Amino acid sequence: MKQKPTLQSTLKALLYLAPALIILGVFNIYPIIKSFLMSFYTDYDYFKDIVHEYGFDNFMFIFNDSEFWVAMKNTFIFVLGVVPMSILLSLGIAILLNSKIKFRGIFRSIYFLPFVTSVVAVSIVWRWIYHTDYGLFNYFLGLFGVDPIQWLTDPQWAMPALIIMSIWKGLGYNIIIFLAGLQNIDQQYYLAAQMDGARPWKRFLHMTVPMLSPTTFFVSIVAIINSFKVFDEIFALFNGKPGPAYSAQTIVYYIYEKFYNEWEFGIASAAAYILFIIIFIFTLVQLYIGKRRVTY
Amino acid sequence: MKKLFMSVFTLLFVLILAACGNSEASTNTENESSDSENGSEEVVIDSPVEIEFWHAMSGDHEKVLTEITDDFNGSQENITVKLVNQGSYDDLSKKNMAAAKANTLPVMTQAYEDWITEYLQNDLVADITPYVNHSEYGMSEEELNDIVDVFREANIWDGKYYGLPFNKSTRIMFYNVDYLEDAGVEVPKTWEELRAASEKLTGEKDGKQVVGLGLENSVTLEFNQWVHQAGGEYFNEASGEFMMNSPEGKTALEFVNRMIQDGIARTAGEDGYMSGPFTRGDVALYIGSSAGIPYVAGPAEENGINWSAAVLPAGEEAATPFAGTNVSIFASASDEEKLAAWEYMKFLINTENTTKWAMASGYLPVRYSALESEEWKAYTAENPAYGVGEQQFDAGFYDPRIVGAYGLKNAVAKELDRVLLGELTVEEGLEAAEAMANKELGK
Repeated sequence: MKQKPTLQSTLKALLYLAPALIILGVFNIYPIIKSFLMSFYTDYDYFKDIVHEYGFDNFMFIFNDSEFWVAMKNTFIFVLGVVPMSILLSLGIAILLNSKIKFRGIFRSIYFLPFVTSVVAVSIVWRWIYHTDYGLFNYFLGLFGVDPIQWLTDPQWAMPALIIMSIWKGLGYNIIIFLAGLQNIDQQYYLAAQMDGARPWKRFLHMTVPMLSPTTFFVSIVAIINSFKVFDEIFALFNGKPGPAYSAQTIVYYIYEKFYNEWEFGIASAAAYILFIIIFIFTLVQLYIGKRRVTY
Repeated sequence: MKKLFMSVFTLLFVLILAACGNSEASTNTENESSDSENGSEEVVIDSPVEIEFWHAMSGDHEKVLTEITDDFNGSQENITVKLVNQGSYDDLSKKNMAAAKANTLPVMTQAYEDWITEYLQNDLVADITPYVNHSEYGMSEEELNDIVDVFREANIWDGKYYGLPFNKSTRIMFYNVDYLEDAGVEVPKTWEELRAASEKLTGEKDGKQVVGLGLENSVTLEFNQWVHQAGGEYFNEASGEFMMNSPEGKTALEFVNRMIQDGIARTAGEDGYMSGPFTRGDVALYIGSSAGIPYVAGPAEENGINWSAAVLPAGEEAATPFAGTNVSIFASASDEEKLAAWEYMKFLINTENTTKWAMASGYLPVRYSALESEEWKAYTAENPAYGVGEQQFDAGFYDPRIVGAYGLKNAVAKELDRVLLGELTVEEGLEAAEAMANKELGK
């Protein structure tokens, strides 16, 4: 293979890359640049694409908007509520599915189903599960003498309801990744440890956890990014409103409202950029931790 | 490599921009030609024209619309109207916006008044006055006056027509006949009676917890109804002021809030629309849109619920908002397309079709002649619920038609919701609502 790139080889490479580049460019890169520019539009005609004035007004607006901060707070609550729990649960289930239990295949399909089902379909089912009077959830709680909870109509319970559904929805994907990670671990290590007399808990803590760290790292990055971007679940679960009294309004929902419903394109772009920066910082932090803690 | 990469992209962007630029230029010239005084007069449709009509009608509503449109297409030599269902009103609004940006607007759309205001601000909607007044295919004075006044006026901005009324609804009160009879309650006609009836009707019934009054989730979004009934005003379109933080507004909010806090009224909650709980027999009275009649009638028959409808109970005065959309033509259409759309619009709301539409959908006929027709009279005699809306024409009023009306109503509704959820007191809620409204108005 030739080492030095020539004009001809570069062109050839570009030709192969072109379909992907064009699609990425038009649908990803261009919107990113465009929305970055749009966040500085203060006086403009959106439809004719004429900008009369640039400035920082949009950023000033969102920083002074109490609703933006509430949305921000809700987003963090959501991320904290979903990510750790989801990782713990899926790791546990993955370990169970990796052991020699009966009907392993069926269980794997069962856990993976939520992931491949559309969010809207899932939300419709959960809306029924959460129903105050006719819901399954309250029925079970009723068996333990708990009064019916207004999951979807009480502002205090809207966020927990959303978190529970989102954890459930995300399990399948995480489990599959964990399963793949677990199966990459050589069984010889476990046999050796067993011979040395390491108990299951010790084996899990000192072998599985470190050897699974690249997988855990990957899952946590994906989960955090996805949770910051939560939108579909809210839209579908609360019927096109971010919960009672906007109690489950997250940052993407805020952007959506500003853009589509209020036609405040500049403000929406500015908020989108703040979200981008937050996700970017989190990813950097994770990469930094990853470098030090993850053993490949 | 980097340079090459960049040049490919530059090329791409230039191409895209060039493409956009072209179509923009062409639409501009079209606008100019139709704006000129007699531009439309020279237009003749002598070759096939196909136009798209974007709408948000689903279920039974869509079925009738399709029927009417098929009739129209059958009656025309060269014009074909293609119906495109865009989902809900929200979806339609979003798709119109995106299409406007992409220069791919359809010829016709359904639109609320405040959407039209927004379109008008952005030069997107066509002035159809030349068509309305046209000697050949326009409407005669008589025909124009046949359109119900309130609906016609809502389509006029600065003396020019930007749409025609299409599916207009009003709020009515559905009631469960059996529940009222069992409790010995008359159909409430005033607020006091409404409260008394709701109290009486609340309670256990055949193992079900029945709540007296059912309200839509959007009750706070449409709170103007209650404010006007209390003798106040929600928003003054002329002065651009939010008026609800007033004694009348307070009376209204207190009245509704107390009923909810006392447990004799509820909103639809997770059911989305009250037609569900009402037809299950979970509520005895239900204040909702007349366009919901088919959604009540069907399930009610299945569940054996005996129901009827009446006008809204009056507070200090009788008041009912008129809602529903109009049909508008986008400015980007060619003259032939505009003329074709105009022909279709006329057909859509002619006496025969508006009657047919109203009978199947629960919307109101938009013409006096339709209201007077034997067909309609016979139908409403048999199905009294469909005739309730028109009894309220005198008490009808509109939503403010201002830019950003959505943002304003939504911001206010958010605070009022907090009151109904018990997070704020009535006073706090009104204060907050006014503050939010002023923020939306940029004050």
